[in-house]
Amino acid sequence: MSRHERVQKGGQPNSDEKDWAAVKALYDDLKTTKKPRPPKPSNAVTIAVSSRTLFNMVKERKVFEDEGLERYVMHQLELEDQPFTPGVAFPFVKALMNVNARLRELYPDSEELFDIVLVTNNHAQVGVRLINSINYYDLTIERFCMTGGESPIGYLKAYMTNLYLSKDSKKVQEAIEEGIASATMFTCDNENELSDTQLRVAFDGDAVLFSDESEIIVKEHGLDTFFEHEKEFENKPLAQGPLKCFLEALGKLQRKFYAKNQRINCPVRTYLVTARSAASAGVRVLKTLRSWGLEIDEALFLAGAPKGPLLIKIRPHIFFDDQMFHIEGAQELGTIAAHVPYGIGQKYHKGKRIDTSDVEK
Amino acid sequence: MYKPTVKEMHSFWERKETCNPSSPSKKPKPPKPQNAITIAVSSRALFSMDLEQDIYEQQGMEAYLSYQFQHETEPFAPGPAFPFIKAVEAVNAKLRELYPDGEELFDVVLMTSNHAHVGLRLINSINHHKLFIERFCMTGGNSPIGYLKAYHANLYLSADSVKVREAIEEGIAAATVFSPGKISEVPETQLRVAFDGDAVLFSDESERIYKAHGLDKFFEHEKAHENKPLDHGPLKGFLEALGKLQQKFYAKGQRMDCPIRTYLVTARSAASSGTRALKTLRSWGLETDEALFLAGAPKGPMLQKIRPHIFFDDQMFHVEGAAELGTVAAHVPYGIAQSGKFKFGEQFRQV
Repeated sequence: MSRHERVQKGGQPNSDEKDWAAVKALYDDLKTTKKPRPPKPSNAVTIAVSSRTLFNMVKERKVFEDEGLERYVMHQLELEDQPFTPGVAFPFVKALMNVNARLRELYPDSEELFDIVLVTNNHAQVGVRLINSINYYDLTIERFCMTGGESPIGYLKAYMTNLYLSKDSKKVQEAIEEGIASATMFTCDNENELSDTQLRVAFDGDAVLFSDESEIIVKEHGLDTFFEHEKEFENKPLAQGPLKCFLEALGKLQRKFYAKNQRINCPVRTYLVTARSAASAGVRVLKTLRSWGLEIDEALFLAGAPKGPLLIKIRPHIFFDDQMFHIEGAQELGTIAAHVPYGIGQKYHKGKRIDTSDVEK
Repeated sequence: MYKPTVKEMHSFWERKETCNPSSPSKKPKPPKPQNAITIAVSSRALFSMDLEQDIYEQQGMEAYLSYQFQHETEPFAPGPAFPFIKAVEAVNAKLRELYPDGEELFDVVLMTSNHAHVGLRLINSINHHKLFIERFCMTGGNSPIGYLKAYHANLYLSADSVKVREAIEEGIAAATVFSPGKISEVPETQLRVAFDGDAVLFSDESERIYKAHGLDKFFEHEKAHENKPLDHGPLKGFLEALGKLQQKFYAKGQRMDCPIRTYLVTARSAASSGTRALKTLRSWGLETDEALFLAGAPKGPMLQKIRPHIFFDDQMFHVEGAAELGTVAAHVPYGIAQSGKFKFGEQFRQV
């Protein structure tokens, strides 16, 4: 007779049962104190990163491109125990973990945390090396989507992803078209030292936080019309851009720190770094943010000055911009920059319109 | 909030289409930081925010922010650095007339630790007073020193002496501005900047000798080392920048009515210690338009006659004396005059 049957027959539990019950109770009481449980996607701020942004896989990529898929997988299997070196999104992810640790201290039972998901095109076999690397660096990434070549967009939606970072601009473009905040990252050669204790995220204004409606006016009608237009429609909020929701998510977590009186050493700090001119076009931006109920910690209006020098003073873990010109400028001075492929800025390079019709011919 | 109707938006574009598309820009483009003379000014130096500052200190951040928000459409009154900035813009206008494509202009940046919420009131005030300040750094409480360096700031004016001290330690020319007791009229067409000598344009080496060994030793030392240039002080770079712009006017034959005029107002005695000061300036290739050697006389009355837009001195005694008589004086917290009290002369009060 099984223990279950014995108990069902209404008999008294004998000493065997007591042992079983005791052991069961022991396992029930055991909480995983080492690694906390990942939060539910609906509550968390989900950040999806690709394997190539999290880790430096430049050499492996070369093997894939030169020698094909089979050789690539074999190569990864051979080097399985060698952890990857950190990639361009690594400092950002580490900083997110720090914020999570602080949040857990203040709100031990809350699920409003950052949740990192690894979304990669890689084959499941490469997963072992990825897991080894993640454990080597003590990252808490428990959720993986190894799509083995398929598009990850559906999974992004299922996880209610708040931000998707990848090196593949096509995937990023697809994600943006599906309404997911997303940006392409690039390898950065010389990186500045970043803060260990504070996550810093810098945003461009137009076509990143806001829609590109104003940028269209600048490109097609010139700066004066732009200033007039902005002044006239000062009180009409701009439409939202692809990364507005991510700023919102960050703001939600910031408020949790403010509620516990930690405004001064809040571990999340946001920056607006815009080429707009303050007196001529700044009012609409500030009023738009206010109408959305969003705050930004620091606002820098540059009136056309280069963003690079100011960004190295800020030292953000990531800087989002829609124009490659600014991304390149930031990277030259060592700032980690991510390109948001949205809006009319994509059709222009350094102020000149790119004629894409020739390319198609 | 006022929301324009679709009809109003259409009428905007109709108006635009009838405009001449090739009309020149109404608002000039700000120059690149490396070409321009960048003057960073804080919000409390530019505008009078005493009432708001009191609210912040007594009632806290939230009360301060909500007060600013409620009074958003009320522009601030001008602050101590306001006439200086207005004069700087007048110089820019003249430079643009002479050199329409030049980028060697003044560039004014608003560098404030205020929160972005207060930004709207600041922008409204700037537009109300018709100032041309397009670059803002609203640091939301953080130190602005890093941004000053990124903008290659040639001068930083603030009402907060802690930030000014930090900036000086980082090698940026900076001074704490104080409101004058009474307002005196300053010229609108000519920017006038007055500098103290020791520990402002020059290093404080001579002042150390004076403080430690007395006036006679000081005179001997200066005479003996007449031909050895003094080391440079925190504001030498700014005088140099002003000189560069002055040269642009001289090149167009405008020396007589140059819209920038610089003054040296020093407590030094001319015959006994003046030579070294003048030879030092010469060795740097710099000039001041006027040089006043006071031999210890009070600076206030002289400054009243000069009517400068700003006067830089390292000793609070002189700063206060100037302010009492209506001159906008700025304190440069550098050198030996900042620490402790002095033995020699009743004229040097305890700092």
